Formats: sequence, C-alpha cells, structure tokens
Amino acid sequence: MKKIFSLVLVAIIISIFTIGCTQTDTPQGSAETPTNDFDASRTINVVSREDGSGTRGAFVEIVGILEKDANGNEVDRTYEEAIIQNGTDAVMTTVAGDKYAIGYISLGSLNDTVKAVKVEGAEASSENVQNGSYKIARPFNLAYKGELDPLAKDFMDFILSAEGQAIVVEEGYVQVGTDLPSYEGSGQEGNLVVAGSTSVTPVMEKLKEAYEGMHSGVSIEIQSTGSSAGMKSAIEGTADLGMASRDLKESELAELTGQPIAMDGIAVITNNANPIEDLTIDQVKSIFVGEATEWSSIE
Amino acid sequence: MKSKSFEGFMKGIFIVSAMMSILAIILICYFIFAGGIPFIAEYGVKGFLLGTEWKPSNNPASFGILPMILGSVYVTIGAIIIGVPIGILTATYLSKFCGDKLYRVLKPSINLMSGIPSIVYGFFALTVIVPIMRNLFGGTGMNIVTASILLGIMILPTIIGMSEASIRAVPQSYYEGSVGLGATHERAIMTVVLPAARSGILSSVILGIGRAIGETMAVILVAGNQARMPKGILKGVRTMTTNIVIEMAYAADQHREALIATAAILFIFILIINATFLIVKRRSAN
Repeated sequence: MKKIFSLVLVAIIISIFTIGCTQTDTPQGSAETPTNDFDASRTINVVSREDGSGTRGAFVEIVGILEKDANGNEVDRTYEEAIIQNGTDAVMTTVAGDKYAIGYISLGSLNDTVKAVKVEGAEASSENVQNGSYKIARPFNLAYKGELDPLAKDFMDFILSAEGQAIVVEEGYVQVGTDLPSYEGSGQEGNLVVAGSTSVTPVMEKLKEAYEGMHSGVSIEIQSTGSSAGMKSAIEGTADLGMASRDLKESELAELTGQPIAMDGIAVITNNANPIEDLTIDQVKSIFVGEATEWSSIE
Repeated sequence: MKSKSFEGFMKGIFIVSAMMSILAIILICYFIFAGGIPFIAEYGVKGFLLGTEWKPSNNPASFGILPMILGSVYVTIGAIIIGVPIGILTATYLSKFCGDKLYRVLKPSINLMSGIPSIVYGFFALTVIVPIMRNLFGGTGMNIVTASILLGIMILPTIIGMSEASIRAVPQSYYEGSVGLGATHERAIMTVVLPAARSGILSSVILGIGRAIGETMAVILVAGNQARMPKGILKGVRTMTTNIVIEMAYAADQHREALIATAAILFIFILIINATFLIVKRRSAN
C-alpha cells in the first residue's frame, strides 16, 4: 500500500517537472526575437564578477572603473548594487534570465543565449580584438629579463609561430598576428621555468605539451602564481619567463621586456531582448560604477 | 586464543571508528582557527568584525565582514518568519488532525524534501521565485526576501520532522485529560499538547536556524551577493557562506586569509547555535 502511494507521488513529481520544463520553454523562445516591450525606464541590473577574478581585474582597469591616486592607492568603484556572480556561466545565466541586466565575460565563452553589444562601434569579435578596434581586450604577455637564452628563445619562437598560435586560437583566445612564420624546430634540450598568471596557465600548459612533444630533451616547469608574482620571479631570475594576463606596469618594463603571445577580449553582454546595440567605453563605465542607473539614461 | 586476539582486533577497529569523527572535528577546528586567528589578530578584531567595507581589490584593501554577518542574520530571521509557522502548523496537522491516507502521502513527500540537493532548490528559486519578485517589486529580483522564502522552504523538513516527533511524544493522558474536562479536540491540542511539546519544537527551530545560516549553494544563486551593508529587504545581500565560496577560487595571500577568518567566525556562530540546542534539549530531558 505504501509502495503504491510513493509510486504515485513520484509520478506526480515527474509530471510537475515536465510541465515546468514546457512552460519555461515559452519565454525563452519569445526572448530570441527582439520584443517591443522593453521598458527603458527600468533600472539597469548590473552583473559583475567577484573580487580577485582576473576578468574583473582586467575589465575594471581597461574601462577605468579602477581609480588610482598619486599615492598608489587603488579603488575599485564597481557599483555597490551590482549582482556578484562567481563564474562566466553564472553571469551568462543571470543576464539570459533578466531582460534588464548587463554583464561581462571572456570573449571565448560567448554564445547566443546572450547578446554582446558593440563597444565604440566595434563588434566583439576575434578580428576586431586583433586589429585593435575592439577596446576591451587584454594581452597575455610573456616577459623576460635581458637577453633570452637559446632554449627560451626557441620556445618563444614556437609560441609566436603559426603552430603555436593555432593552439592559442584553439583555446579560445585571439592570435597576435596574421602573417606568421612556421616553426622550424632546432634540437633543444634543458629546463625552463615559466611562472605567473593563472589565466595564462591553461594555454601555456597546451603550448608546453606541444613543445615537449617535439623536443624530448626539454622539460618546462609552469608555476601558476599570478601575474604580479610572475613578473617578480622574472625580475629576480627565479623564472626564465614570466606570464602576465595584463599589460606590464612601468616599474616592470624598466627591468623586463614584454612580448604579447595572445589577446583575450572581454565581451559586454545584455539580454537578447535588449534593443541596445552600441555603447561607448564611457557609457559602459558609467553603468558599471552606478552613475547611469536607468536604461533610458544611456540612449 | 585465536578468538580472543580477534576480539581485541575488532575492539580496536570499533574504537578507531568512534574516534574518527572526533579526530575530524579537531582537525577542522585546528585548520580553521590556525588559518583565521592570525589574520584577525593582525587586521584587528574590531576592524574585521565591525568593519562595514569589504573591498579586497582596493589598495590598501579593507576586510570588514559586518555586512556579511548582518546578511546571514537577516536572511536567517526571514527564513524563520516564513518557515517556522508553516512548519509547526504542518507538524501539528500531521500528528493530530491528518487522516491515515493523507499521512501516507504527506510524510514521504516531506521526507523527500530533505533529500533534494540544495543546488536544486537554488535553481528552482532562480527560475521561479526570482522572476516573480522581479515582476512584483522591480529591480533584480535577487534580494533578502527571495533568499528568505527559499531558506524558509528548505528548513521545513527539519522543523516538521522534529516538531512532529515531539508532539507525538506528549503523553496521551494530557490530551485525554483536557478532553475529559470538556475541551474540544482543537482546544486540547492547541492549549495543552502543543505547549507540552514546546522544548522539542524549540529545538527544531534552533536546528532550522543552523541549517539556514550554513546554507550556501542555494543562496548564492538568488541573493545577489553584494558585499555592502544590507540596504533593505528588497535589496541584495551577501551571507558569510557565500562570501567564502564566491571569492575562494581566485583569492591569494591576505584575501585568502580573510576568507578563512570569515569561516572561523561562521564556525563560532554554528557552535553557539549547537550549544543553545544542547541546552534546550537537556532542559527538556529534565
């Protein structure tokens, strides 16, 4: 008797789930076509990433949300009321589910559940990041002190070759040049230490695998310590190459030579139902610091 | 001889198993406090507990967790307001009014509620409660009320289960005596049986508070997670648990220590709640 009841209960729950699923399909379907019922007087629901995230760090710096004063103090002025989500997927889900939301994610993760707006008239695409017309992009840099030794030089040549850049593109980032020489491996052996940014580490791992596959005598050690720590290691000489997911600071450039090895764009995303197509950097800034709080105020 | 050594061996196994949980709790205590206390000492107890600004990426950074402490407290109070009346009334209904047939359906479905993973609750709230709140009150729909409703639902099984057991444990003679004195069925239950079960019900509420304050994955999806002083029940909020989960992935150095210190404060909260639970339980046993 008890068994029958629990079976009935399970059946009811399953039917509730299926009904729930079919119902949620409808609003998603209608959201794909731009609707006219977008109410511009509604508040902008800003979605940001958590403190410490590399994407947030790069975004606030490029857009100018991070303010620095003469004493070296830095203040992140991200809007206090901004929803904080801890991951690219969470930001996308939130923006996809809220008609009045705006957020930012790494360009490589963009898909059609959300809409990337143009910034300063340039569409968020790999080509525009590469030719510099899309402004919200950060370079992945490799930095070294003085002259490169032959092994490090050869590894650098490999990364900047057509083969190396193909790996960069495969990982979802933007290559640094178009006319690339193909890599001609010269027999190298030895050890190499690469230290720095956690954001660059995944693509560096792939490059290391490919390079070590070509040169059996080479062993590359990657230390994922963060951009600033990586630059410090390169200056102190504890690492042959330092990785940074940002531009080199002036103090670092005094000691090191930087070489961009890839670019990563940051797409500003809104809901598909949002009629806004184009924003300027200043508008993006005013939204994310909370100066513009209604959609009507930025049209 | 053989059986004797075997018995000794098994005895050892049982003791080790029994010690496992104690060892685990000692290790957790050590890790949390060894990681958290030095930071609190360095940053200053007052600045950490009463600081109203949490801005780890500023230079110099500020780590005040008062917004998160208040966030946890507000959301928990909201969950109690929503969950406790429903829970106690349901427990009363289940134990004293409900027919046998309905009970066989109701009881398993309440048990099922406690088995649902919290992230599923969170996703439910994100797709159902958040849009409703957004349409009703505008804004983002991610606020203290939303989180409270969600947590209120999540603590129901805890409250109903324990309250029902304690209502059933009230001696039948209490009920019979009051009915014999002329009270109706309803009056006998509401004025005699329920008050007699009050310490058990109170324990269930305290356990519910413990569950609500410790809940993380569901809250993270619907609370908005703004790290600033709570500004009203229709604004977003960040709790201590979500603060740790959200920022742990990228945190380094001092920022990481600050998060472990947040965990230490949360741990102290849970200890206080459990101690209250034990006191209430002991009093009811006497």
